[in-house]
Amino acid sequence: MDGRARPGHDGVSVGQAAIGGSSCPGLTRASRPLAATLAALLLLATSLLACPPARADEAFITSQPAETLSVVDLDTLKVVATLPVPGKPAGIAVSPDGRRAFVTSPDGKALSIVDTAARSVIRRVEVGGGPLGVAVHPSGNPAYVADWYKARIVAVDAGTGALAGEVAVGNSPSGLAVTPDGTLLVSADRDSDEISLVDTRSLTRLASIPVGSRPFGVTIDAEGRRAYTANVGSNDVTVIDLAARRVVGTVKVGQRPYAVALAGGRAFVTDQYDSTVSVFDLATLGKVETIPVGDYPEGIAASRDGALVYVACWESNTLGVIDAKTLRLVAEVPVADGPRAFGAFIRRTPPD
Amino acid sequence: MKFELFTAALAATSLLAAVGTASAHGPTRQKISESVVINAAPEKVWGVVSNFQDGGWIPVVAKTEGTGGNAPGAKRTLTLKNGATVEEEVAKLEPEKMTLMYRIDKVDVAVLPVTNYSSWLVVTPEDGGAKSKVEWRGAFYRGYPNNDPPPELNDEAAINAVTGLYKAGLESLKKQIEGGS
Repeated sequence: MDGRARPGHDGVSVGQAAIGGSSCPGLTRASRPLAATLAALLLLATSLLACPPARADEAFITSQPAETLSVVDLDTLKVVATLPVPGKPAGIAVSPDGRRAFVTSPDGKALSIVDTAARSVIRRVEVGGGPLGVAVHPSGNPAYVADWYKARIVAVDAGTGALAGEVAVGNSPSGLAVTPDGTLLVSADRDSDEISLVDTRSLTRLASIPVGSRPFGVTIDAEGRRAYTANVGSNDVTVIDLAARRVVGTVKVGQRPYAVALAGGRAFVTDQYDSTVSVFDLATLGKVETIPVGDYPEGIAASRDGALVYVACWESNTLGVIDAKTLRLVAEVPVADGPRAFGAFIRRTPPD
Repeated sequence: MKFELFTAALAATSLLAAVGTASAHGPTRQKISESVVINAAPEKVWGVVSNFQDGGWIPVVAKTEGTGGNAPGAKRTLTLKNGATVEEEVAKLEPEKMTLMYRIDKVDVAVLPVTNYSSWLVVTPEDGGAKSKVEWRGAFYRGYPNNDPPPELNDEAAINAVTGLYKAGLESLKKQIEGGS
């Protein structure tokens, strides 16, 4: 033992009990297609010993110092694949259909395009500068890469890897997000203390909106109505009305907030320096809870049904699992050294 | 050995601004871990490393001044043998895990070429509690916030400086405790 184990570190079974309540992984997941569920139930009825093949959603976790991409099965909570990705991978965006993942390597100045089912890097695109944040258009094409050093966003064709254009934004653009209708790209311009709104069709910057100090992660709600930035410098989250292009609220959170996930009408914010996740209500913007997690919590994302929130803890080398209702850490999955998972890291499985 | 950066660079007048806590940095945070086994009981070793107000076991430290003991928020200023200072703060104290986490609030990158530095000191029993393992972990960015850093402020320089500091510190700690002082 290295003295770093935490409650739940080896408690995957605890998490399983809390999540599934079934001896077979994933049988109770509401998001599972009906046919698969029926088939699974039939199998369960036929034999209580045999489990159907696991087809759970997956988490694609970038581990920066380890230079790997870990694939975590979210029913069994096990790492099922590990891909080498050189150049200190940090940012991740899985396409909405689950078929591709886009991974930035700031030190390699590259974007890797991953075939998620084949578990392989099919293309590596030299984008230059310091690629960090990444997002993918809801249609699956293009991918947008934030260049931390050159204050621009690069569009990359998801199929060919060709550079499809670029747009100048504020300083040190970091987090990126696209509205669900695909019209608007939002970048958190960390060292300009603002967000940029970019028209995806013309790749032009429509507006910039001042937010808190040093915005890093940015998340857009499912309706495309509001954006939330985690402001590392001012220890708060700025809530932006995208249509009105104005700030509608600011919520104090823990120290050095990194990114925001949305689930069940609440925001979950990773507080890097407090080793916690701050939770606030999206309607009232009132603080709900502070959840202790591993050290240096960074990338955070909700399950598709909103029941669980996953958090990559860079120092603890874990993927923490939070029950979005009880607001407790219910499991921790050991992953490769230095998980960041900055971006949309949940992959729907099977793909549409 | 880049460890000399921590000491040799002290005499030079710095042209580089001291780095505050929310400063700019590059995209890649570095991670370092060094450890040593000490022939003493964990409680005894923890007593030394958890005493935030005495950094004397770190060879380059001449003087420790601070307030707040080792509770979260406690501060200390280390005055190094060459006169430079390092301001630090306790982030987290977990006695049950014998873990102390602290941060550097202020240091000149000419003294230690890092920014946004956090570190952990963790004591664990070895040989059923007859001995102790001390792990010193660090998380930090390089001293230069922009792309293509000069060699003295790149990732390698940062890693080498902190690694050198940890190795020398842990060796000194081992000598101090095993020597019976």
